[in-house]
Amino acid sequence: MTNHECTCGENPLVPQICNVIKITDETPDTKTFRVQTLDGKKPFDPMPGQLGMFSLIGVGEGMFSVTAKGEDYLDFAIKRCGMLTDALHEMSVGQQVGVRGAYGNTFPVEACKGKDMLFIGGGIGLAPVRSFIRYAFENREDYGKIDILYGARSAKDLVFKEDLYTNWPAMKDTKVHITVDCDDEELACHVGFVPAYLEELAFKPDNRMVVLCGPPIMIKFCLDSLTKMGFSNDQVITTLEMRMKCGIGKCGRCNIGSKYICLDGPVFTMAELEGLPQEF
Amino acid sequence: MKLAKNKLQQAFDLMAKEANLLVPMKIEGVTKFAPWGAEGELAMDAVNTLLPPKDALFPQTEKMYKYKTRLTQVESLEEIKETDKQIIFGIRSCDMHSIDCMDEVFLTRGYVDSFYSRKKENLTTVAIGCTKVLPTCFCDSMGLNPVAAPTADVQLNDLGDYYAVKAQTEKGEALVNLLKPLLEEGDGEAAALECTLKVNMDGVQKKLMNVKMFESDIWQETAQKCIGCGTCTYVCPTCYCFDIEGKECGNEGYKFRCWDSCMFSEYTRMAGGHNPRPSKKERVRNRFLHKLAYFEDRYGKGSLCVGCGRCVADCPVDLDITMFIDKVGALKEAGSND
Amino acid sequence: MSDMQAKLRETAKKLLESGEVGYIIGWGKGRTNKTSPVFVKEPAKVDELVWNEYCLNTLAKYTMDNMYPEKKIGLCVRGCDSRAVNRLIQDNQLKRENVYLIGLPCEGKKDPVTGEMVKKCIECMHHNPLEADVMVGEPVQEKGYPDRFKDVEAMEALSADERYEFWAKQYDKCIRCYACRNVCPACNCRECYVDQYRVGWQGKQNNRAENQVYGLTRAYHIGDRCIECGECERVCPVGLPLMKLNRKLLKDANELFGEYEAGMNTEVKPPLGTYKLDDHEEYM
Repeated sequence: MTNHECTCGENPLVPQICNVIKITDETPDTKTFRVQTLDGKKPFDPMPGQLGMFSLIGVGEGMFSVTAKGEDYLDFAIKRCGMLTDALHEMSVGQQVGVRGAYGNTFPVEACKGKDMLFIGGGIGLAPVRSFIRYAFENREDYGKIDILYGARSAKDLVFKEDLYTNWPAMKDTKVHITVDCDDEELACHVGFVPAYLEELAFKPDNRMVVLCGPPIMIKFCLDSLTKMGFSNDQVITTLEMRMKCGIGKCGRCNIGSKYICLDGPVFTMAELEGLPQEF
Repeated sequence: MKLAKNKLQQAFDLMAKEANLLVPMKIEGVTKFAPWGAEGELAMDAVNTLLPPKDALFPQTEKMYKYKTRLTQVESLEEIKETDKQIIFGIRSCDMHSIDCMDEVFLTRGYVDSFYSRKKENLTTVAIGCTKVLPTCFCDSMGLNPVAAPTADVQLNDLGDYYAVKAQTEKGEALVNLLKPLLEEGDGEAAALECTLKVNMDGVQKKLMNVKMFESDIWQETAQKCIGCGTCTYVCPTCYCFDIEGKECGNEGYKFRCWDSCMFSEYTRMAGGHNPRPSKKERVRNRFLHKLAYFEDRYGKGSLCVGCGRCVADCPVDLDITMFIDKVGALKEAGSND
Repeated sequence: MSDMQAKLRETAKKLLESGEVGYIIGWGKGRTNKTSPVFVKEPAKVDELVWNEYCLNTLAKYTMDNMYPEKKIGLCVRGCDSRAVNRLIQDNQLKRENVYLIGLPCEGKKDPVTGEMVKKCIECMHHNPLEADVMVGEPVQEKGYPDRFKDVEAMEALSADERYEFWAKQYDKCIRCYACRNVCPACNCRECYVDQYRVGWQGKQNNRAENQVYGLTRAYHIGDRCIECGECERVCPVGLPLMKLNRKLLKDANELFGEYEAGMNTEVKPPLGTYKLDDHEEYM
């Protein structure tokens, strides 16, 4: 029986120690932490959508999506919203943390090949989506047109600004659509909620897959809009989050029906979610 | 082979030399599996110990790794490995099957839980056939046989002055070999035994898996009297959910896992405050569905309820899973309210 | 007994039919001798209500599941339940106008397995409801419980080491199921400190130290507010003698601040919830 790919040894519940080598302030409450093993490698090799258990030894562990992987590092974008994340935000470069993973399933990168892609992210929900966006750009020829629609509460809450404004718009056949809920800094972008902007942009459903991630209320209304625009449920992919402790389908708490989100998820198509109890 | 009952203590002494021997004991009024030699009385006639033997494999609190830190650096992090040999003597069919269920959870589906697997490798089980049933026993309704536990390493059956001893695995043969000086030739069949409490699981799992069932009024009605304590989950031999927490003192500490209960509000509450199972209705629904439907759906090994009856006996408000099974069985169709 | 049951059902039926109450919380039949709390909404289903020698559960705390009821909640109350009602009202967890109390004098209940009178009923000091909107049955003779603090005195007579050993053995048994807390009408915090694991008040590991921290914290927190219903001790699956602990605090509170029995009414405040200039303060 093969356990996970981590370099920490045989036990999937024991983390490996990593260095925090870079911290990027994304927004006032979100930071991206770049981690690397003590011998200068990436802790594990996740596919887009997979998760990693990130721990501050002595404080606690939390499950986060891996936002990006490099040759020798992994990035985790983490929003401050509790005791652990408060402590993580106090870290400085050189801090040692525990990392274990990769957990969960992946975005269906193969099944999406040859299709136009629409990535929709709201707030910190862009973090998991970003791993797929980066993958699509690394394998640019495999995918058709790429549209990225991203919304945040205000201009200061936009994450990954360098990607949104510089890197991604420069890619071939790619458009980035940014919207903020309220225009407090007179930023030159669209103002309004994501679902309304989505309808305004009037994407065609033909040969297109949608990756949707954000706050539950945004997902709900985006789904309504997508349905109105003619998208079917198996064209829409999302990721779920539940409280997790083990990450390996043992500890029991992240189940929805008989599925464990840490193992069978976090990525589901909307069609798959319809077959599950609505308890998330 | 057979073992005279008056040689039981000698047998215990022999086994205790080889391994940590756990036998049914009554300690301070609580029956449980405890090390032979612990202060208390042997309770071979406790049909069902109050506490299940699951903590031999899955302790209520289990240290996972210890660490030392210095400022921002982690100086050391060391996994804690327990490799002591253990023998559970006198386990009943229901509890034995609970170990089969936990094996599925901890040893299959992509990941092996090292803490559990190490203990399982070092465990030998000696089952004993029941000679009487409690009013809350219903293992035969859940497909088990109170006098035979096929997955135990050794099966004992009470024949009056003797126990019939039968090795069922390699580990079992080794144990029987160890006891050989005390054993006598002979054999005997255990008298069949039937539980008095009967439930009918026919079609219940299928009905419960139907998504219509999820929104049924039955959950509110059933859960209304639940007080949200963890008694059912902690006396249950198959409840395996756990939490992972840490304990730190100065610059060193350890990470441990401990039993958790899906009946507690904190269990699924996320850091931001959202709780997908906010009230007792959702929690009771999840527990009963996990026992009676989800486990079978995921692992294909039958129900996660083994019919030991502990939760039925010990629930402070008599929220009785057997009455719930009857109620579901009586529904005309899944999701209907009568 | 069966007369009272018939009268209870009749009363319940009237209350439901008239719309005076939305539903009635009482006891219903279990599979064996046991009874179990039931919630009766329809007049046609009042026969689900039973009143017999096995009606063990206290019921008042269920009102906390419905703090803003559309109609009054009909609640069956014995002496202990009525004290629990007062407890909840005094702690601002229940409004008197939200409940309709159906009083049932009670001579004590039996263990459905052994058939013997349960400990909490032997120790009961108030068999008759202290308050009710309607009474079912005639009041019973109050017997009092002169031995109320006998167990505590016996504990006090032991040395500190002996007491430690006694409680260590007890808390080694605790499985931390929190049944004692969840059944207790005085444990009515919106969020128990125990559930604030992220803050770290209470370690989640099961060991003697953490179990004792839990036991003592709970004992102190309900200290002077304990209504002595004995439910914590009854529901404890491993049989911790919790009333010894609760009564120790009651005894101390009585000695320090004068005679007080919690939940007798809603007016007199618990001694630790009030400050008087002549309060003892040696312990501060």
